[in-house]
Amino acid sequence: MSLHWKSRFIWSLCLPLLASSRSGYFETFDEELTVRALGDGKVASRFSFSTLLAGATPRNPQNLSVEDESQHYTLFPLALGQILREYAVTELHLTLNAGNWDYQRWGYPDEPDVGTGAQLWAWMGEGASTSVDARWRGLRNALAGLFCASLGALDEQLTTSPALAFAPQGALPAWSQPHAVRHAALAAEHVCTENLTPFLKLLPCKARAGIAQLLNPHRLFDADWHGMGLHVEWLPDTGVQVRLTFQSVTNPLRASSNRRDWSFSSTFDRTIDRKCPSASSSRILVTDPMNDGYRLTPTPWTYEGQQLTWTLDDPSLVGGNAVFDLIKQDVPLDVSMRWAVEFAHAARPPEAALSIQRSLHGASQAHGTVAVAIANAGPDTVRAAYLETMPWIVTFYLHTLELRVDGVLRPDLLQSLHYTPPVPHARATTLEAVLLLPPRSTLHLRVEVTKAFLRYTEHPPDAQRGWDLPPAVLVPLPFANSSALTANSTSVPSNANDVRSARRLYTRALLVDPATPDFSMPYNVVIFTCSVVAFVFGSVFNLLARRFAVVHAPVRGT
Amino acid sequence: MNHILTRLRAFLSPPGDPVIGRVRRKQAIVSALTRRLHLINCTLFLVGYLWMAAIPSPRLEKGTYIDENALQPGQVNTYWDWGDVANADRYLEQLEGLRDHNSTSEQRGNILKTEFIKLGIPASTQNYVFTSSTGKVQGTNVYGVLSSPRTSGTEAMVISASWVSRTGQGDGTLNLRGVSTVLALANFLKRYSLWAKDIVFVISDNYVDGMQAWLNAYHGSTQSNLQADSLELISGVIWTALNIDYPGHSFSHLGIFHEGINGRLPNQDLLNSFHHISTWTGGIPVLVYDHLDSPSSIPSWIPDAYHEEIHAYSYRSKNVLRHAGYQARGRGSGVHGLFHQFRIDAFTMFGLPATGPHGFHALGRTIESTLRTTNNLLERLHASFFFYILTAPDRFLKIGSFLPSAVLISVAMMFGGLREWSDAAWILDATTPLEKKEATGQTSGPWIQRSRHVIPVLGIMLSTHLLGGILFSALTTSWFSNNQMVASAMLICVAFTTSLCALFAPSRDNKLVAPTHQLLKALNLCFASTVISITTVVNFSLAMSLAILLGIPLSISSPSQSLPLRLIRFTMYSGLSLGWLFAHDELKKAVWDWEILGVWFAPFVCVVYAPLVLQAGLVCLLPA
Repeated sequence: MSLHWKSRFIWSLCLPLLASSRSGYFETFDEELTVRALGDGKVASRFSFSTLLAGATPRNPQNLSVEDESQHYTLFPLALGQILREYAVTELHLTLNAGNWDYQRWGYPDEPDVGTGAQLWAWMGEGASTSVDARWRGLRNALAGLFCASLGALDEQLTTSPALAFAPQGALPAWSQPHAVRHAALAAEHVCTENLTPFLKLLPCKARAGIAQLLNPHRLFDADWHGMGLHVEWLPDTGVQVRLTFQSVTNPLRASSNRRDWSFSSTFDRTIDRKCPSASSSRILVTDPMNDGYRLTPTPWTYEGQQLTWTLDDPSLVGGNAVFDLIKQDVPLDVSMRWAVEFAHAARPPEAALSIQRSLHGASQAHGTVAVAIANAGPDTVRAAYLETMPWIVTFYLHTLELRVDGVLRPDLLQSLHYTPPVPHARATTLEAVLLLPPRSTLHLRVEVTKAFLRYTEHPPDAQRGWDLPPAVLVPLPFANSSALTANSTSVPSNANDVRSARRLYTRALLVDPATPDFSMPYNVVIFTCSVVAFVFGSVFNLLARRFAVVHAPVRGT
Repeated sequence: MNHILTRLRAFLSPPGDPVIGRVRRKQAIVSALTRRLHLINCTLFLVGYLWMAAIPSPRLEKGTYIDENALQPGQVNTYWDWGDVANADRYLEQLEGLRDHNSTSEQRGNILKTEFIKLGIPASTQNYVFTSSTGKVQGTNVYGVLSSPRTSGTEAMVISASWVSRTGQGDGTLNLRGVSTVLALANFLKRYSLWAKDIVFVISDNYVDGMQAWLNAYHGSTQSNLQADSLELISGVIWTALNIDYPGHSFSHLGIFHEGINGRLPNQDLLNSFHHISTWTGGIPVLVYDHLDSPSSIPSWIPDAYHEEIHAYSYRSKNVLRHAGYQARGRGSGVHGLFHQFRIDAFTMFGLPATGPHGFHALGRTIESTLRTTNNLLERLHASFFFYILTAPDRFLKIGSFLPSAVLISVAMMFGGLREWSDAAWILDATTPLEKKEATGQTSGPWIQRSRHVIPVLGIMLSTHLLGGILFSALTTSWFSNNQMVASAMLICVAFTTSLCALFAPSRDNKLVAPTHQLLKALNLCFASTVISITTVVNFSLAMSLAILLGIPLSISSPSQSLPLRLIRFTMYSGLSLGWLFAHDELKKAVWDWEILGVWFAPFVCVVYAPLVLQAGLVCLLPA
């Protein structure tokens, strides 16, 4: 008892100190876990840890030459705050995902950025003494160090500035200079424990308390799909928000073929034993699968009513959420969901109205065809932006671009096209097309490509499995009379608010196999090359050094 | 000592102009070689043919080994157990029901698709129709894509089984156990999270055409006579494929079938890994093809010491002959052969029907372990492990041990052709009085140079190849396949009579112009030699067959003065050239292979082989 009082006393001493910190920002930390049972028996969970620096604004790049205000944070991650201030980043999104999100079976993800591998995009203000690109390079390298990821490989050869697909999620301050977006994706990035450890270090309670306790690398990295994300946004009325997210799709059916019961202890091999004292809210939401045949233990603190979710065909009702408020709930907490009946797989209608499938055809090492099939299962025509950010090793033959529906050419479905051609060895392609997707049909987009012949120093030193091409992105757009593509890519699209609510769809990554010398046989290569060089040199030298003369040799026998 | 040195020096640099000495030495070497060219040619032919005969010898071969370190075959514990065998048995019962109800391809496809979906694996069907000169071929393929956890899905492995087994080149024996193995494997493999590549399950309809349609759709290649649905599900780049063929009730051995269409072979590492795994993990002995190493009857008069080697030779020669049969005809020895055209390493494991002792249990364990091995691959199988002849399951011939045999023969033919070519340029001047020659004691008289008119000869060659082209287009018409007997007789008559025009070729003064037959022979030999030596690396068995069929016959073609002799010779050559027109079944199959699978054998025979032999026939027919 006395110990309890003592700690109370110390806290009461400390609190005024914290509140009077130099920056004077009020900080709140909220954590939330959403668990959703999916139609195919899998379980999707999303951890969201958000820290709000109330009243703060992003650093204006025009003040980069002036000394910055000092940074004193209690909950906000300092390591990240320093990076954001140093490079004057207004908005930042970093995701590290492993696997393919299956829109057809799992629906839209809670966090839209689910492209395979690493993806980084940021909005930065212009007008600084250092250019946006220089700050982008610095940002990449700093984040690479912070997250132990090969983000340094997201170099100029992968960087693009797409105009439509990556509109800011928060707001952009109205500075005198416009903002610019930079985007890069690295499909080959493997995500693992070394990325999770620095991620957990950014949390106020690390993985020792609160719902972050469930982030057990042994289980998370065995999931069917997992992805972590870092999202920094500026919300004009509230402040700068840093949101760390972790999504995973686990498969209870892997262990038993017909029970899809799950619990924290079975999914994460952990339970929540301690509450995070820094968290102002700590909630666990379990989505009601609209099915009576299950039992949730322990009893949830409260239920949130039916809620509207936005889908493409039409806003439809899905079940509400069972809410466990960790601050009020007893610990240890092990939420579990048990089903009365055994699970049987069956063919189900697609969970998402849109689906996109991209493949690279052709067995040749010089040419190929990118074939994209975009299916719209909904009842309405959808206007969508399709974005390809190909590294320069794959170049589009734009004149071969064709759109077909049911085998019939439909050039009218291409509303506008924004194309930045690649620069070999330097810049990636950006192809952003606004397409109309007719209802209940599949649009086939084909474009021929050429695969580059690489310099031998450009081949990676690893085993030659080919080059991963980043996922393409499809963003549904609202119908608008003025095409946003006419807007300069450095400014925010006028309909940013509408784009913000849209859900991006990512295709799977592709593997391209350009002509590669057999590096495993350097000995043969050396021998062949030397022989050819010696032969050519010998013959040429012979001809050059020889004196030609007519010789009257006696004919044999005469 | 000094004496020897001076002698040697005198020999190397004879007195007089050193340049003249060098020229003389060169002349001496050239004439020594040309005078013995016949002998050299005979030696090359002899060594070449003997070498070919020695290919099955155990003395040339090497033990197989694993070249790619990443494969690590047989290093894992397998988890396939009797529960999975029971699953396979349940699937088999269901499939037997389908067979007994004579269900159509489409019904079957839908039921199989449902089975995949019941396992939670996205699956779909693909309908296809091939139109060929022999009629329509249609069917329904079923495939499922198991997306592996946490992988980007850019790479994939295929496990396939065709509905019809390869027994008797697809004579209708059903591969029910192969299909149920694939289904049971799908149920089993989805339980593990260790797969680094997507796993694609394909159950192709019929024997080979189903897989051809599926692979074409998967790789987006078009075929004019194929109408197929596009694939709803897609995965990444396929690196390896295992095709399962298990037609019997049980099996005693697993046979490896590896030849692909157009003579392509899979990387040998894949076969070697499978051999290792099957022997040590599955406990199943491995065969090359489906014949056993049966004891051969060796005559008693041969000493015992040689029995083992003779037995080994006879077993290996069976394997080599089957290999050459599959590879030379470009047909491929099974469904796996279609994968090779898309740079996918694939082979068929064939459960040799027997009363025992192996079944689903051993097969499942072997496939599981083989998949784990191919799952380890970080890059495509590469290195130069594509040129080999498997003489026994664990023995193979390296490229250097078999390739020279055909090359030697092609070299001999090239020498013969060049000899003919240079001979055509010269003629002995008969006008020089004989006495004068005798008086001077010379063996060779004065030579007159004559011009060699190449264009008419090339014209003859081109027209034979055109004739071959016409022949080929006739073969691919439905008229031919409907009345084969009459049609082949007609085609032969046409080819024969057209060639007889050569009888009326104007004969020219041999003193001024080289005779056409000599030039034709020269170019014919040179061309044939080039064809053979190029084919050696692409399709060794085909090159070897060409070397055997063309080597001697083309070299010994010669004109004659008597008309009957000329006609007899020409008839023999045209028999060699076009006699295959009467092998109806073989012909039908070759044309079908070309139309459906794109096997180059039929056009090659028509456009390259037959004209080459016909040209040799024309050499005999042309006026001397």
